[in-house]
Amino acid sequence: MALRGLEMARYLPLIARFVAQNLKSRLAYPADFWTGLASDLVHQAANLVFILVVFQHAPSLHGWRREEVVFIYGYFLVPFAVFHATAANLWDFADRYVVRGEFDRVLTRPLPSLLQVFLETMELESLLGAVTGVAAMAWAGRALGLDWRLADLAIFPVLVAGGVAIYYGIFIALAAVAFWTDSRTGLIPLLWNLNAYGRYPVDIYSRRLRFVFTWVLPLAFVGFFPAAYFLRRGAWGWYAALTPAVGALVLAFGVAVWSAGVRRYRGAGS
Amino acid sequence: MAAYLEMMRIRFLAMLAYRVNYYSGVVIYVVYIGSYYFIWQAVYAGRAALGGLTAAQMTTYLAVAWMSRAFWFNNLDREISNEIRDGTVAVQFIRPYNYLVAKLAGALGEGLFRLAFFAAPGLAAAALVFPVRFPSDARLWVVFAAATLLAFAVNSLFNVIAGLVAFFTLNNTGILHTKRVLVDLFSGLFLPLGFYPAWAQDAPRWLPFQAISYLPSLVFTGALRGPELWRALAVQAFWIAVLAVAAAWLWRRAGRRLVVQGG
Amino acid sequence: MAIIEARQLTKEFRKFKSRPGLAGAFRDLFTRRYETVRAVDAIDLTVEPGEVVGYIGPNGAGKSTTIKMLTGILVPTAGHLLVNGCVPHRERERFVRTIGVVFGQRSQLWWDIAVRESFRLLQRIYGVPDAEYRRRLDELAGVLELGDLLDVPVRKLSLGQRMRCELAAALLHGPSLLFLDEPTIGLDVVVKLRIRDFLREINARHGTTILLTTHDLADIEALCPRVVILDRGRILYDGALDAIRRDGQGLEEVVRAIYQGEAVGGGAGAGPGGRRVPELGGGRAAEGGSAVEPEGGRQYGAGGAG
Repeated sequence: MALRGLEMARYLPLIARFVAQNLKSRLAYPADFWTGLASDLVHQAANLVFILVVFQHAPSLHGWRREEVVFIYGYFLVPFAVFHATAANLWDFADRYVVRGEFDRVLTRPLPSLLQVFLETMELESLLGAVTGVAAMAWAGRALGLDWRLADLAIFPVLVAGGVAIYYGIFIALAAVAFWTDSRTGLIPLLWNLNAYGRYPVDIYSRRLRFVFTWVLPLAFVGFFPAAYFLRRGAWGWYAALTPAVGALVLAFGVAVWSAGVRRYRGAGS
Repeated sequence: MAAYLEMMRIRFLAMLAYRVNYYSGVVIYVVYIGSYYFIWQAVYAGRAALGGLTAAQMTTYLAVAWMSRAFWFNNLDREISNEIRDGTVAVQFIRPYNYLVAKLAGALGEGLFRLAFFAAPGLAAAALVFPVRFPSDARLWVVFAAATLLAFAVNSLFNVIAGLVAFFTLNNTGILHTKRVLVDLFSGLFLPLGFYPAWAQDAPRWLPFQAISYLPSLVFTGALRGPELWRALAVQAFWIAVLAVAAAWLWRRAGRRLVVQGG
Repeated sequence: MAIIEARQLTKEFRKFKSRPGLAGAFRDLFTRRYETVRAVDAIDLTVEPGEVVGYIGPNGAGKSTTIKMLTGILVPTAGHLLVNGCVPHRERERFVRTIGVVFGQRSQLWWDIAVRESFRLLQRIYGVPDAEYRRRLDELAGVLELGDLLDVPVRKLSLGQRMRCELAAALLHGPSLLFLDEPTIGLDVVVKLRIRDFLREINARHGTTILLTTHDLADIEALCPRVVILDRGRILYDGALDAIRRDGQGLEEVVRAIYQGEAVGGGAGAGPGGRRVPELGGGRAAEGGSAVEPEGGRQYGAGGAG
């Protein structure tokens, strides 16, 4: 993993270049850019409305107060925004790259194929979600009188990175399924909104689901556990310490599935 | 008419090719329902009724709302605005049928496919996992079937309009995405309209979205009785009429614009 | 040393066979039937540096499959392959730095940004030093007359303008071997002529080896001293262009005759004036092909060396 990190550092100038180009091409259609921003805001507002409406009818969810649930959602928005902004190309990977054959072109370039797919299209305006998220956290944190420590400033990006890695891993693996099937839409649109499970206190779910979202499809590490750490909800908060390790594992899994898929695409025997 | 039926059939057949989606789709929708089921369980926390629904009706509502979505949901909006933009629609002008009706027929073929292979088995699967209560009154099933078909018409017409508007504003993804979020939010898909605070309930009640999900699902839970059932159908029919006129008008204007631009 | 050396190169695909009718489609939903298709069947091909080779054949003959193996996209099912001294699929990232690829139907430029920006991105991707990049861009822009196009977004270019930019994009990193898959498809005559001139010039000036697939036999006649004719995964003919049309026949008729000869004679007899590659044990065939040493190829090669 450390080796991979080193390898990625070599690509940093190139990544910066791609980011700049992506911004340019997004801004070539300013209307799309702005309505993209607006529709993200509407989406986030809808989710917040849902939380607020739910708490109109109940004082607490399993002992979690309204502000705490808003805080969890706000925190979740940060890794999700980073994921959404950078991995947008996975969304229609099956159609664009496998069915329509763009992947051939990718393979004629001297860069890792996964890196190219990530870089070729980004939706950087989605990063605004992180701003919404931080605002929601700030509002809820103040209402709850949260005490922030200096160390949290360092811990926050680490936990966010772990959450992003979990999402990367899961969706890279799902995108790679396209190498085995001839389906145009793939599984990703259907699974995109599984994130609903990562942004509520995990103890409202049944024991079995709690297990699944902790150890099988570890979505609880993306939003809930880290948020619980900042909310100082002891028992759950401790899980947050595992977030970076879980992220590394899931990402490694996703990359392994991807590599196997590419081998299959190139007909290297299955 | 035969041509439109053929379009339905072709689309139905085309859908058969995408099998992976359907093996997994049912599971994924059940998972979806679950995500809301647990939240609502925590909200009810033993209370008998909230927002006009009992806890049991709420579960049924969620299950039937999501599974019906598999039927009424389609990407007509994206298809239409894309086809107008890339010019393939020009070919449609010289064909001996109405483009919009043909599109709707195709969408219905797709919808029926998902009804048979997705929504129906999905609802059965959901009933295995969650305490879903099926209506015992046969008449309720009939009304529900009618309401679901009408819901398909409302949503599809709405998509047609969104697709045409996206064409006029030369913008695509933003408008269509916003529309989708609005439909999900105001159709009552995951939040029955009865749960909104009183001051916020009026707006959704005057919008067409409730005809897509809220009304048919409410029929299925048995929360509507007697004349309320007929009122629900009438509201749906009203919106179909309004949206159909709007769609036809927009289509004529789009046609004129295409001719002027030379396709 | 040969720049492309393929021995018994073979590629098989497993293809999904759909059943007819509604009931059939329904059964496909649960169980699928597959059949193995041999797209490229033990071909031998040797290309020397500086050659310009036309690779032709009807749809489904296995042209693109061959190209995809030669460019490292596909892994061969069997056979031995060495291109530019590399096994393409094994060391893909290193190998593709040494080749240029143009797929006529597929753009390698970024749609929404200016051509120049795409070029710069490619410069970074291939790690071309600035001075070298500027020198090549100047040369390519000059010969292809890109001047004003460089600051236009790709989506606003005409097909012919775009293709000129695609060619430049494929050559910015100075590859010694250029693969062109249908580079003139959909282009008007003027642009076609210009592109042919350009290809001739880079071949003469830099000794760039070119492998060209096309449906336009006029491209072949104008550019390729040597042709390789493929059908159903096998090489039907490999040799000098002049040898198969010495009777003053049009190339089109000759090629048609060769296909028909295959269909009727099943490998017996030779195409008019051509040398028929044996059906089996084709190991010798490609060597023979390069032994013929098409005059034109030599001429271009010499131009490159000098």
